[in-house]
Amino acid sequence: MNWNELLKRQPAAVRVLQGGLQKERLPHAYIFEGEAGVPKEAAARLLGQAFLCEERTTVHPCGECSDCRRVLSGSHPDLLTIEPEGASIKKGQVEMLQKEFTYKGMESAKKVYLIHEAHRMTASAGNSLLKFLEEPEGETLAILLTENLHFLLDTIVSRAQVVTFAPLPEDERAEELKEQGYTNGQAALLARIADRATVEAQEEPGAWIVQAKTVVVQLTEEVQKRPQQVLLTLQEKWLPHFQDRKEQQIGLDLLLYWYRDVLYTKLKRLSLAYPDEVERLHEEALHTSEEKVSRQLEAILDAKRQLAANVNSQLLMERLLLRLQEGF
Amino acid sequence: MKFTIDREEFVQGVQHVNRAISPRSTINVLTGIKIEADTDGLTLIGSDSDISIQSFIPVADEEKEYLQIEQPGSVVLQAKYFVDIVKKLPGDTIEIEVQEQFAATVRSGAVVFNLNGLDPEEYPRLPKLEEDQSFKIPQHLLKDMIRQTVFAVSSQETRPVLTGVNLEIEEGKMTFTATDSHRLAMRSAEVETDASLSLSNIVIPGKSLTELSRIMDDAEDLIEVVVTETQVLFKFDRLMFFSRLLDGKYPVTKNMVPTQTKTDVTLERNDLVQALERALLLSREAKNNVINVKTAGDALIEITSVSAEIGKVQENIEVASLNGEDLRISFNGKNILDALKVIDSDVISIQFTGAMSPFVVRPQDHDQMLHLFSPVRTY
Repeated sequence: MNWNELLKRQPAAVRVLQGGLQKERLPHAYIFEGEAGVPKEAAARLLGQAFLCEERTTVHPCGECSDCRRVLSGSHPDLLTIEPEGASIKKGQVEMLQKEFTYKGMESAKKVYLIHEAHRMTASAGNSLLKFLEEPEGETLAILLTENLHFLLDTIVSRAQVVTFAPLPEDERAEELKEQGYTNGQAALLARIADRATVEAQEEPGAWIVQAKTVVVQLTEEVQKRPQQVLLTLQEKWLPHFQDRKEQQIGLDLLLYWYRDVLYTKLKRLSLAYPDEVERLHEEALHTSEEKVSRQLEAILDAKRQLAANVNSQLLMERLLLRLQEGF
Repeated sequence: MKFTIDREEFVQGVQHVNRAISPRSTINVLTGIKIEADTDGLTLIGSDSDISIQSFIPVADEEKEYLQIEQPGSVVLQAKYFVDIVKKLPGDTIEIEVQEQFAATVRSGAVVFNLNGLDPEEYPRLPKLEEDQSFKIPQHLLKDMIRQTVFAVSSQETRPVLTGVNLEIEEGKMTFTATDSHRLAMRSAEVETDASLSLSNIVIPGKSLTELSRIMDDAEDLIEVVVTETQVLFKFDRLMFFSRLLDGKYPVTKNMVPTQTKTDVTLERNDLVQALERALLLSREAKNNVINVKTAGDALIEITSVSAEIGKVQENIEVASLNGEDLRISFNGKNILDALKVIDSDVISIQFTGAMSPFVVRPQDHDQMLHLFSPVRTY
């Protein structure tokens, strides 16, 4: 990965970073913010390379010297990385970092620290970090990566320059997934699921998503045509497939995209999540009103909220399916 | 890479560099020993990023031939296993060969170990020593200087720069200073150097110096000390000891030492050590180590210590001389005792400048050492 490749994907963020490098005026701390899947880490490594590379004359690190190569492989002694230990980044980890930073650099006077998932810092870890985020000694560069800027302490955010990475357009992401070997239908759905990590953790993500899609399509068909079947399908197919809460959230997402596609079809918009179900979508679009679809979407969003609040999943789904049938 | 080496020499080298390696290093490659063979000899490096030790084994010296290098090259091998393996090998020589993917074969006698190595390119580079900031000092003197100052460094991380010993050189005189802000130890010595060399604010971590003094012996031979931008190097015959320096500004200590004296006491070091040890038996229990000292007559001082729960102790010591105002002062006895233990003179002098001002303990034989203490306020 180099700046030019990254520039195509994240023009705004990359221009900010290149500007800093060009003028040799990097701030002492950056926060890279952006959803999972955007190339935050690649940008951070590239910035680290540019900062430590001794051969660099322009904004581009040479990528070949031993500094550059070791930044990529993670064994550069003057680049420290912190990742959450278990669920959070603990105070002890930040203290270790602090201790490390009381020393001069190992090879040069420059030091970089990279904090992954900075939003998972505990409050006390955040406060310890603040201390030396504020008074860096020598040439120090801090890069905090986060998916959720608002979970960081305000006092940290105000002491760093925030660089926002734009979320990838869905179609672009679908293209990328297709290159990884997913079929057109799988890629279109997977690109739209926020929590891709859960899907990718399945034994066979491709097969899992195909089966999930079949369940969703069957369920919506029954909601529309065979209401008496709905609860049976829920028991037999939906509940066994979407097992824990994370998977259930994905199930609800898929349901949400179905009704959005129905709406899109009515409005003759392209970019569908179910591109290979066009006929079914047309048929359902003919039999429903925009108003009804919007109420159905609302019902699903309500369900998603309730699921996050630990409502019993079976009761939740039964209520949702009743609301979908009635359309209010 | 392929070479055959004398086992004893190799084991010794490996054990030396292994001292620097910490099994809990955050950088994976630092859990290994870097082995580098070129036409001059074999270089071994171990590091935990704070300190690094490099050991060199020449192809041969006057006595015998240690090494045959068939093919130069380098590799990093896991220290945890490698050290034990070479120690337990049966033959007089060891042959090490590295093939593709850093797969190493270690042969000795009828034993063959196949070890997976790491990429030597990943290993941190040690600083280049082109700078001319260097000086020479006898090994035993450096060892003494470390012992006489390093005990006074701060053990708390609140002011990290105080966990190190400050090295300064001016006009051929080197000074070590250590302080934890309650006490200060200073030791200076003449060194062999360019008269123009002037160094200041070189703060070497106390931990590194302790480790360094473990590998030094009381030999008379000179070792070379080289200071670079980020590290300091102690160069022995075949061993190089690198330590990272602490970042930050060391406090200016010169003007802390009082120039005037109000009360001047000279006494036998041993008398004071024993009296303090007795007095501390009680105050140690109170966890504050407070000792009170009072002048009591012409050549007598009175040492007392009180512990509310246990009781009190009083002792009079005869001193060689006592000049100046009468005095009553309290201080941390443990700190004084630590300093007295490293003073290499039988008679010491103490200069007080009042009950609330710092006081100085010096050996009487020479003026190259100084210990400064702040008193404790007890009322």
